[in-house]
Amino acid sequence: MDPQSPAIANRNGAAAVAVVGLTKRFGEDVVAVDDVSLEVHDGMVFGLLGPNGAGKTTLLRVLLGLVHPNNGEVFLFGERMRPGSPLLRHVGALIESPGFVPHLSGMENLKAYWLAGGDPLSAAHVDEALAIADLGSAIHRKVRTYSKGMQQRLALAQVLLNGPELLILDEPTIGLDPGEMRDVRELIGRLAEGGATVLLSSHILAEVEQVCTHAAVMNRGKLVASGTVDDLIGASRRVFLEVDDSARAIKLLETITGVSRIERDGAGVSLSLTGVDRKAIVAALVGAGIGVETVESRHSLEDAFLGIVEKVGA
Amino acid sequence: MIRVEMRKQTFRSRTYIALGLMAGLPILLTLIIKFGSRHHNDRDFFALASHSGINMPLAALAAASSFLLVVIVSLFAGGAVSEEANWGSLRYLLLSPVQRGRVLSSKLAVAGILATLATVLVTISGLAAGTLAFGWHPVASPDGVVFSQWTAVGKLAVSTVYVAWCMAGIVSLAFMISTMTNAPMGAVAGSVGLSIVSQILDAISSLGSLRTLLITHYWHAWEGLFANPTTSSDVLKGVLLQVPYVVVFLVLAWWWFDRRDILS
Repeated sequence: MDPQSPAIANRNGAAAVAVVGLTKRFGEDVVAVDDVSLEVHDGMVFGLLGPNGAGKTTLLRVLLGLVHPNNGEVFLFGERMRPGSPLLRHVGALIESPGFVPHLSGMENLKAYWLAGGDPLSAAHVDEALAIADLGSAIHRKVRTYSKGMQQRLALAQVLLNGPELLILDEPTIGLDPGEMRDVRELIGRLAEGGATVLLSSHILAEVEQVCTHAAVMNRGKLVASGTVDDLIGASRRVFLEVDDSARAIKLLETITGVSRIERDGAGVSLSLTGVDRKAIVAALVGAGIGVETVESRHSLEDAFLGIVEKVGA
Repeated sequence: MIRVEMRKQTFRSRTYIALGLMAGLPILLTLIIKFGSRHHNDRDFFALASHSGINMPLAALAAASSFLLVVIVSLFAGGAVSEEANWGSLRYLLLSPVQRGRVLSSKLAVAGILATLATVLVTISGLAAGTLAFGWHPVASPDGVVFSQWTAVGKLAVSTVYVAWCMAGIVSLAFMISTMTNAPMGAVAGSVGLSIVSQILDAISSLGSLRTLLITHYWHAWEGLFANPTTSSDVLKGVLLQVPYVVVFLVLAWWWFDRRDILS
């Protein structure tokens, strides 16, 4: 990465990623991305959440110039993004799944990817990338012999070849075992600490909660919430109640407005509260003769996500 | 970028098999003619192949250019973009800071080089096998004209270049389809299918002069270089006929690919 390149030097504080009024339709009926605007600023680790078909991958493809939007604009580092733009020299991306030429080795694939950009191989961060891939001598084997996890690691190595300032990662831990997933999360953390901006989509909410500083939720092509991860979690109130009669408690709770997602949870009940406070719930249970032993807050990004999606879908 | 694309094609068994087929066909034909029964009444390049080794590449070109060569060049051009889409590597290729047009140019250049190599291999292999089997003698054409060895080799070189150029329309069509699909075999089938339909229509005399517009109509015009008297006007027409096909197919390929959403 060349910090003096025009794309980087003349940013005047512009966001690493800025999306303005972006809409992408497939045919007449399918609106994959619907008037989305968002900004990802330097140093953020930004998580993009949403159920399957929410439009996350399409949005990321538009950001990278792979898909043409119907309306709206994309800016990377303050410059308008177009397909094949020189701005891509500062971006590392993993979209949906790895994609390699199967009859070439891992190393040959890395070289082919790099050389296609027209830069000399000596400018690539090959050693760092190979350390990430951690494929040993298998790096010289044909990719068609790789497991899914090996391909994913090779893809992450490819992403890092240019020492990117911006990483766009679509489901980066898919296909990895738990240990590898942890390694990838740690890697993302290290890259962010090193100054890289990260935009990642994931369906693993715990992953976003652990890794990301900011997040946005997409549903049916629309951006329905965004902010810091802490803010998003705070927007949802999940409560655990330890009660002496779960069955009766559930029946009663189902009748109370503002209580949703009621689930039996061990010796008690978990529920989400919207517009009603815990004191009122406890009073109602006690008033009905149900003993309440414990009341705990259990907020998580998963609760926040489900709460937001259900609210929008309602 | 052409070097990168060339490496992708040269480090694969499919390329070796395809080129091996083109080199092997004249050898197989030579063996058949050398050891098979002869029909002395026939007057074509095959019947005359045993008269001189230089007749063998002519026979092989005539045999290969109607179908096998079409399949092979379609394979090279039809897989150029669609295979990358099929492997999922196209999106990563397009994440490079290069214009899509440059990516296409490189891929087309490599497909063109391999298609030309396939044609040239037929000639070289045929010449080598024919000379070993039947010797280095003056060439007798089907019309009974005899050419000295070096005159015949010159005409053979022109014929080879001509046959290679005649594949340009098919290469362009396969390449165009390749930009539109993720299925390489679809592109191959499309271009091979067109050549077959064109050859069938060309055999229907009631189509009259319309046949001269068919992409395959002048494919065998190079045989006129060995006729008595030598005719080269159809060769020139054949060269020119490919131009509109090449231009239309390639303009459509560029137009389509530039607008294509990469979803694979």
